[in-house]
Amino acid sequence: MNTIVCVKQVLDPEIPPAKFKIDAEAKQVIPPAGVPPVISVYDERAVEAALRLKDKHKGKITALSMGSEKAADVIKHAIALGADDGFVLQDAAFENLDSFGTAYVLAKAIQKIGEYDLVLCGRQAADWGAGEVGSILAEILGIPVITLASEIQAQDKTLRVKRIVSDGFEVLEAPMPCLITVGSEIGLPRLPAGPRLMMARKKVIPIWRAQDIGAEPTKLDKQNAHTEVIGLSVPTRKTECEMITGATPADAAAHLAAKLSKLI
Amino acid sequence: MSPVSATYWGVPGFFIFWGLFAIAFGLFLRRFYFLFRLVRLGKPENRFDRIGQRITSTLAVIASQGCSLKSVSRTDIAGIGHAWMFWGFGFFLVGYIVFVGLEGGLGLSIPSAFERVYLSILDIVALFVVAAISVAVVKRYITRPARLERKQRRKEKIIMVSLFTAMTSLMMLHYCVEGLRYAAYNLSSAPPIGGVLASFLTSTGSSSATLLGTYNAIWWLNYVLLLGALVYTPHSEHLHPLFSPANILFKSLGPKMALEPIPPEEHAQESFGVSKIPDFTQKQLLDLLACTWCGRCQANCPANLTGKSLSPREMILNLKEHLLDVGPELLAGKADADSMIGSVVTEDEIWACTTCGACQEVCPVNIEHVHKIIDLRRNLVLTQNKMPESAQLMLRNMQSRGHPWAGIQSLRLRGDWTSDQELKVLSDGDTADTLFWVGCTGALVERNVQATLAMTRVLKAASVDFAVLGETETCCGDPARRAGYEFQFQMMAEQNIEVFKSHNIKEIITSCPHCYNTIKNEYPRFGGDFKVVHSTQFIADLIAQGKLKLTKDLKSRLTYHDPCYLGRYNDVYQEPRQILQAIPNTTLVEMERSRNKGLCCGAGGGHTWIEEQPGTTKINQLRLQDALGTGAAQVVTACPYCLQMFEESIEHKDKKDSLKVQDLAEIVEAAMR
Amino acid sequence: MDNRKGILVCGEFAEAKLAPITIELLGLGRKLANELGEPLSVLLMGSKASGLTQETIAFGADNVYVADDALLDQYNSDGYTQIAANLCQQALPSIVLLGHTDVGMDLAPRLNARLGGGLAMDCLALSIDPATQLLASTRPVFGGNAHATMLAKSARPQMATVRPKTMPPAARDDSRQGQVLPVEGKVDPSAIKVKVVERTKEQVEGVKLEDAEVVVSGGRGIGGAQNFAMLRELANVLGGAVGATRPACDEGWVPVRLQVGQSGKVVSPKLYIAVALSGAMAHIAGCLGSKVIVAINKDKDANIFNVAHFGIVGDYKEILPALTAKLRELKSG
Repeated sequence: MNTIVCVKQVLDPEIPPAKFKIDAEAKQVIPPAGVPPVISVYDERAVEAALRLKDKHKGKITALSMGSEKAADVIKHAIALGADDGFVLQDAAFENLDSFGTAYVLAKAIQKIGEYDLVLCGRQAADWGAGEVGSILAEILGIPVITLASEIQAQDKTLRVKRIVSDGFEVLEAPMPCLITVGSEIGLPRLPAGPRLMMARKKVIPIWRAQDIGAEPTKLDKQNAHTEVIGLSVPTRKTECEMITGATPADAAAHLAAKLSKLI
Repeated sequence: MSPVSATYWGVPGFFIFWGLFAIAFGLFLRRFYFLFRLVRLGKPENRFDRIGQRITSTLAVIASQGCSLKSVSRTDIAGIGHAWMFWGFGFFLVGYIVFVGLEGGLGLSIPSAFERVYLSILDIVALFVVAAISVAVVKRYITRPARLERKQRRKEKIIMVSLFTAMTSLMMLHYCVEGLRYAAYNLSSAPPIGGVLASFLTSTGSSSATLLGTYNAIWWLNYVLLLGALVYTPHSEHLHPLFSPANILFKSLGPKMALEPIPPEEHAQESFGVSKIPDFTQKQLLDLLACTWCGRCQANCPANLTGKSLSPREMILNLKEHLLDVGPELLAGKADADSMIGSVVTEDEIWACTTCGACQEVCPVNIEHVHKIIDLRRNLVLTQNKMPESAQLMLRNMQSRGHPWAGIQSLRLRGDWTSDQELKVLSDGDTADTLFWVGCTGALVERNVQATLAMTRVLKAASVDFAVLGETETCCGDPARRAGYEFQFQMMAEQNIEVFKSHNIKEIITSCPHCYNTIKNEYPRFGGDFKVVHSTQFIADLIAQGKLKLTKDLKSRLTYHDPCYLGRYNDVYQEPRQILQAIPNTTLVEMERSRNKGLCCGAGGGHTWIEEQPGTTKINQLRLQDALGTGAAQVVTACPYCLQMFEESIEHKDKKDSLKVQDLAEIVEAAMR
Repeated sequence: MDNRKGILVCGEFAEAKLAPITIELLGLGRKLANELGEPLSVLLMGSKASGLTQETIAFGADNVYVADDALLDQYNSDGYTQIAANLCQQALPSIVLLGHTDVGMDLAPRLNARLGGGLAMDCLALSIDPATQLLASTRPVFGGNAHATMLAKSARPQMATVRPKTMPPAARDDSRQGQVLPVEGKVDPSAIKVKVVERTKEQVEGVKLEDAEVVVSGGRGIGGAQNFAMLRELANVLGGAVGATRPACDEGWVPVRLQVGQSGKVVSPKLYIAVALSGAMAHIAGCLGSKVIVAINKDKDANIFNVAHFGIVGDYKEILPALTAKLRELKSG
């Protein structure tokens, strides 16, 4: 089966919170120097989901990433993990698109690729985290969508998907082609380990521009954005943490117990 | 007259002699060829380079018994015993060739003067051998040091008993043969002990026919015992006399702990590293046969000393047993090799190793334990995607962040330490001759940053023109490589070499022994040939040149902890001590385990990040005891990991009042002002 | 565009009761509706919805749309999207609000994809921008490191999902009046492409995480599934529930439904004990509403200490048993 995985390159979410800086005027985050961007966590799991299906059913995995030229790194990451091919979607017109714009660009690229049985996305991006690109993309492509999958199985032309809900789980079935968004419940992604790691590093990732995928300029016009960020702030939460100590760990624990017993 | 020239039941003694010899030698060769083929199951590896040097050094180390004597310490003198036995049997071997082979087998006559002198020597030698055997027996069965403790299989118990019995018997038989010979033939001027025995036998009044008959019988018994030993040795588990010399001959001549890359032609394979017998190289299989079970590796292994499941000796012996068990089927092509991981070697054993190299350092026969462990890790990580969770986290960080520290655990970013410092930080296009390579821990961990800054101040004080990479520095790749994540390492090595070349770097100074070892000994395989100097070497040199003067009286009692990757890996023991001794009024006291016997801090081989398995204690706490035992007020080290491990154990054991840990650069800076 | 009016809340209910989030949305919706001077409507889907209309009105709704269809008794993405989209196209609300719940997380983006509106997910605050009279939605971005406020200038409807327990529940007033309107049209079964083939409830022992007054959470530093027993014991003594961070759930040490954080559950207990977890913003996002946060961590620099009220630096394996024993003693004594 042929799978297309959409991946995004984001600011490393594990930077120390103290290093997180924003430009409130420009409503942009200032990436700290020397911190390489990473593949968005959920997108890495989407790649993992694709790999698990490939392990069982063979087929081809194509990774797509819209972003800057550096997004080639996340495509290389996907290739190192086991994706067969990948493209970067980069164009000045693609910058700062909202979810609808992003989904439109991805849809055009997917239509250019043509044949696919499954499109996988992370449940949301680890940066702006809108969490709706997958659903819009499916709507544009006119295919069924399942969100927040924790397990995907394929049989003939049907996908069987497990989804964790707050009080248990549900199992859904959908015909292919289909779009599935993946949550972290799918489990830890594998470590890119084999010689693919070195092969991927040297691979040249093709870049598709707006005209390559036939994207209409009106659809990319920022004036037509569905949403707009009007404010960005870093929440202040200053808590004085009272450190509890003791001669031994057990002592410290006893002091804490005394404090807590007054609270509850 | 030799007993061989007699006729027995109508059969000439010569027929019996050579007949028995042919059978025994045939059996020996058959078994030896089988063992040789077992070794050939491994992948070929060219260890025939510099063959002349190999042969001479092997002969020298064996003849001088440097291999066994190097391990002698106040508490363990077994090496001396081995040397006695070796030299003793050397004399006897010559004696057997001359008196049994030439005189008996070939019927040559041996000049009586030589005979007397040589037999006299053997008389004395036999005493030494018996003494050494007695000590060995006492050691093995009565005092039983931990390194010899082993759950032995029955076969092994038998071989030990037969070995001691056979050796003692041969010595006794020597005296008997000698005494009987001199008594039976009534020869004069006998060797000392043989002479005493001969006069005693004569004094019993036995007839010369009886004496002659007994002599012949005992002579043949001696001969049969010798042939028996020839046949039994390769069939027993005690293979070391046959294979240890070869193992020493083919030992690594390069930087001893440098790892081999996975060659490009193997990149297309589905499996990497070692999981099955044929995955090992021939030298690695030879290692298994060469093991003498002496257990010195185990006695010096930090994992074993702290109660982890790993014993380097058990690992080698278990692999050897496995080789002997499955070898015949593999040779016959009857069976596919099974994975050894989990059954022969457990994952816990594989991950407990800190790659400190203490096992290899003490091994009398140059077994390379650490290389095997890394190969097993390579299989787990690259092929099976199996590793402790903490290792995976570390490797993930290496992969995505270019360093092994987790994001939010480290509150710093790579370039932070350079802020507010007047430093030449290289940007694209800049060049510099000398680079101070800081390393991940020195750049990212608060305590280590202090040591890094101290080093920059020392360098500046000595007017050294140097540059740093700041935020563009990445990991050297060592933690990945030691954890088996080879391709990530190769990638990082290639990237770093590109960076060094792009800045036209000629010389690299580093404070981290792990970076030092990697860049110096392992980058050349990837095309990176730079002059690499450890900070201790660089500082020692600055002092020698008079560019740095340590004038301040520190009035301190110090002890120096040898980082494994600086000491054992690169033989840098002297420079750090020279520096400390150059400080006025400081006393340098040594820990019981120091220099090449120094105990690991617990952090090597990726263990700064890989969680230590539960055991009787933690490695860094055991090492802390060593340091506290010296009564020193400060323990000085020259490695960021060691610094961290000591900080942690001092904090944990609440010893802040009695011991302080410092990086050597910090001490030097303090002594400058 | 100007003919759009009013706020529509997509209601949720279970076992003949309105879900707490729906009552919270009603409180919020009422406030916004009053500000705009527009009506507040609620959509209830399912054949058992009719019994809840009066309650919904009592909590502040002016109109209650009831989609009485057995095909909607269980949540299914295609059916719900179809009905909700049809209603939005007929009733033309200006604002649509959903809970950031299992249903809302799935339905909101799908509905918006079909309607072409402007959606903000997982909002912590909603208000009417005084200048434009548009809905300003504030939501966490960058894993909770920042908050962004969004506006949909022209796209309609303006949509938001609201994080549970961030808004006060609406006050009940049984004297309120409102109208109940049936939703015209039934679900077209042929449009249901994704079929629910199984739905399994997993019984939770003890207190439910979302309802617990005390939560004891463990992170990656716990080191293994069996070690969570220590946390369970402490939680039992305090009558609380056990939670976990994403990495701990990823490892399979505890079930995913115990995950606290941005992509898991949001809890706001009286006491939150964070054990051996570093305090990634995405986790903190799920527990910041707690009254008192206690952190136990080996690393004194761990971020969790920045949000905790009490902290102990040390090995939890040494601290927890002593803490549990002492609390048990204080409780019985």
